[in-house]
Amino acid sequence: MARKSVNLVVGTVLTLSMVLAACSNGNDNKQGSESPSASAPASAPASSQPSAEPVDSTNYDPLGKYEEPLTITQVLSYRPPEDPDTLKGVTPETNGYLKDLKEMTNIDVKYLWSVPQDQFQQKFSLAIASGDLPDVMMVDQQTFEKFKEQDLIADLTDVYEKYASPTMKKVVESDGGLALQATTSDGKLMGVTTSYQSPVQMGYIRADWLKNLNLQVPTTMEEFEQVAEAFVKNDPDKNGKNDTYGISMNKNFLINAWGFDARGIFYAYDSYPGGWLKGDDGKLLAGDIQPGTKDALAKLQSWYSKGILDKEFALKDENKASEDIVAGKVGITLGEWWVPNWPLNLNKDKDPKADWIAIPLPTVNGEPTKTLISQTLNEIMVVNKKYKNPEAAIKLANFYLEMQKPKYIDKSSPDYRGPNKGYVYLWFMPRLIYRNFLNDAFNAVNTALDAKQEKLDIPDDFLAAGDAALFFTESKKYLANPRDNVAWGIYFSRVAKDGGFGLSKKVLDSNTFVENEFFGVQTPTQVERGASLNKLIAETFTKIIMGAPLDDYDSFVSSWKKLGGDDITEEVNEWYAKNQG
Amino acid sequence: MIKHSYLGSKKAKVELPLHLMLIPGVIVTLIYAYGPIFGIVMAFQKFQPASGFFHSKFVGWRNFEYIFNLPDFTQVIWNTFFIAVMKISLGLAIPLLLALLLNEIVRGWFQRIVQTSIFMPFFLSWAVLGGVMIEVFSLNGPVNSIISGLGLEPIMFMAKNNWFVSIIIGSDVWKGMGYNMIIFLAAIVGINASLYEAAEVDGAGRWKQMLNITLPGMAPIIILLCTLSLGSVLNAGFDQILVLYNPVVYESSDIIDTFVYRLGLFDQQYAPAAAVGLFKSVISVAMVSISYYLAYRFSKYRIF
Repeated sequence: MARKSVNLVVGTVLTLSMVLAACSNGNDNKQGSESPSASAPASAPASSQPSAEPVDSTNYDPLGKYEEPLTITQVLSYRPPEDPDTLKGVTPETNGYLKDLKEMTNIDVKYLWSVPQDQFQQKFSLAIASGDLPDVMMVDQQTFEKFKEQDLIADLTDVYEKYASPTMKKVVESDGGLALQATTSDGKLMGVTTSYQSPVQMGYIRADWLKNLNLQVPTTMEEFEQVAEAFVKNDPDKNGKNDTYGISMNKNFLINAWGFDARGIFYAYDSYPGGWLKGDDGKLLAGDIQPGTKDALAKLQSWYSKGILDKEFALKDENKASEDIVAGKVGITLGEWWVPNWPLNLNKDKDPKADWIAIPLPTVNGEPTKTLISQTLNEIMVVNKKYKNPEAAIKLANFYLEMQKPKYIDKSSPDYRGPNKGYVYLWFMPRLIYRNFLNDAFNAVNTALDAKQEKLDIPDDFLAAGDAALFFTESKKYLANPRDNVAWGIYFSRVAKDGGFGLSKKVLDSNTFVENEFFGVQTPTQVERGASLNKLIAETFTKIIMGAPLDDYDSFVSSWKKLGGDDITEEVNEWYAKNQG
Repeated sequence: MIKHSYLGSKKAKVELPLHLMLIPGVIVTLIYAYGPIFGIVMAFQKFQPASGFFHSKFVGWRNFEYIFNLPDFTQVIWNTFFIAVMKISLGLAIPLLLALLLNEIVRGWFQRIVQTSIFMPFFLSWAVLGGVMIEVFSLNGPVNSIISGLGLEPIMFMAKNNWFVSIIIGSDVWKGMGYNMIIFLAAIVGINASLYEAAEVDGAGRWKQMLNITLPGMAPIIILLCTLSLGSVLNAGFDQILVLYNPVVYESSDIIDTFVYRLGLFDQQYAPAAAVGLFKSVISVAMVSISYYLAYRFSKYRIF
């Protein structure tokens, strides 16, 4: 029974993240490539630097063909293809990418087993327990550390250096070497991955409601509160009913929050729960217990009692909270760049008058509020130590990036490799995710739109070709028909200069952020006490907002320290001292 | 001397095939019900999936110490125990009452309709019912509409500890009562009808008949159900609470299972989870044995 419910919840989370990924990434992680041309798959492609490596250049070719067929084993977390146009009857074994891979490099991918995504973690744990590991795998950071400790994975320093295509190196090193450093220990590269950074926090507000009430766009916390209060009391939707409130919120407003939460309000008071900030003495401080936390709680408490927040936010999850946005009951929500694409577009479907604009977080002291930025690793590609040809794994990664070149993903191109031809990217691995795909696509699409181009013109080595193409088509659709809310969702979240990503970019470009300095794996005390501490935070903060005495916060701080917070701070600082350089 | 070999006997001819047919079932049970018991060793190891059962480090009672030293554990145990005991006792008493009442109704369509409608909620899952209940008890829900219709302040049921626990217990009893009621009704049907005829001749009314025939006749089933349900004295209903609770009511409704669930979410802590499972099983076995002994001691009744 317990197992079932766990699966249910995990499944829901995964589905959600899939939905999010689908709406956030468009075509997921399709990137262009600048590796050597491989236009005729039947023939072995030319080497990238044929002249620079006179002696054995062919041996180090990123997509060099093996003379004898080479088998590489993987395990598959199966998801059905997303695209409804996917060629009927195509299976992971007959995936078009595998066919091309075989032709280009003579590598056969063999799946030891394949299970539906929701059972993968369990099955993979079993495989680890039985020691029956495939040749190449994608693992999370915790597993990576364990594998490293138990000496199960191969040193990739050499093969990465020699075989990684220029594109792959560009993708992996697009974060300035952060990911490389995280997967390197004692000078040995034990896995290959990329990193991503957490999205900027911002607000979205109903401009039509502001207009109805003759209010300005709020910038300070006071104005923000006045507007929110007016949204509660002054019937902003002019329907004659007292049925609106100010700011949306849900029960995960701080811990594991991903939307319709209160992180931005805490940030405004220099409180960064979950983050580790550099103190004046050079040591790391827990963002959870910064003095501003109490001020943020006081503010939220007063908002709750005034009815600005949903009276029942503590009972609602993100999906439930989003229903109020869609139904037009709420005028402000805090979140990330993707919010226009869900659920704001649904609100526009329901209420054609709805007009949402993106605003920066309100400021308390006149200084712009800084958002918290964390760096996180994507799944890490590792190679089984027992496998004889670790360079083949690098070639697989090269190959996938190669297949993301504009000519392969442009529907009008004769070389088009798409779902309707039996190419399912979901099943292929390793797929390295390019960190700046949104940024690059944003720039390319805006350049094209500003120049009033009819067709998106991107260079052959462009790394986010798939996303850019999608964003461009949708933007064109929206600009031609402002009533197309699906297109608006994509345009306003990813392309508009004053939209979700456009505003995020301004925040990042103006350095209005603080860095989370800790990005190691969980410390031992975090593992042991994490659940208890999270419970303490969630319980205390929710109760304070709903009216418990504000001074409960002070006893919370001492319990937090005693229950493991102090130990964690120490461990995090040990990590920091070791990894600072 | 005549050799009585079982294999040659007539009895064997009839029984042997039946015994043979049992073998697959026995094997499957051994593999899937007894084999995994071996996994208990995890509770005493610093279990690492990569090392497996055989190579993980043995740490003795460390996992148990860890669990019992968790700051909220006493509160969590108490919540679990309180909620479970209330659910068990009400979950037996109310169906018993219902069965007795239903039995007094003149048999026919009315009894069947009542019986079916009481049984219905048993088939709904908490995932569905949870959402419905949150709506029903929300500030704009029907319950609060009635309350404010009476001129009283609306109550946020799901965010008040006392109300929340009552709703948890009440709704669980309501959902499950049909099941035990059917068992009790079956027990009543099994009572020899001639006893009632004799009692009527002796001048006993409906009330006396119920006290002196129906209830004693049901005693074995009542004792059986009590004993079995004591085994779940630390199962307070994971899925129900998971879909209904929120941080505000942690203090009254965070139970062992939900706590371990959040523990597991954080990192795959298999060993402490196994330790909790073992702990719960040991308590269950103890409770079942005690009640088995008491049932024999006081009413000379053996269940098995």
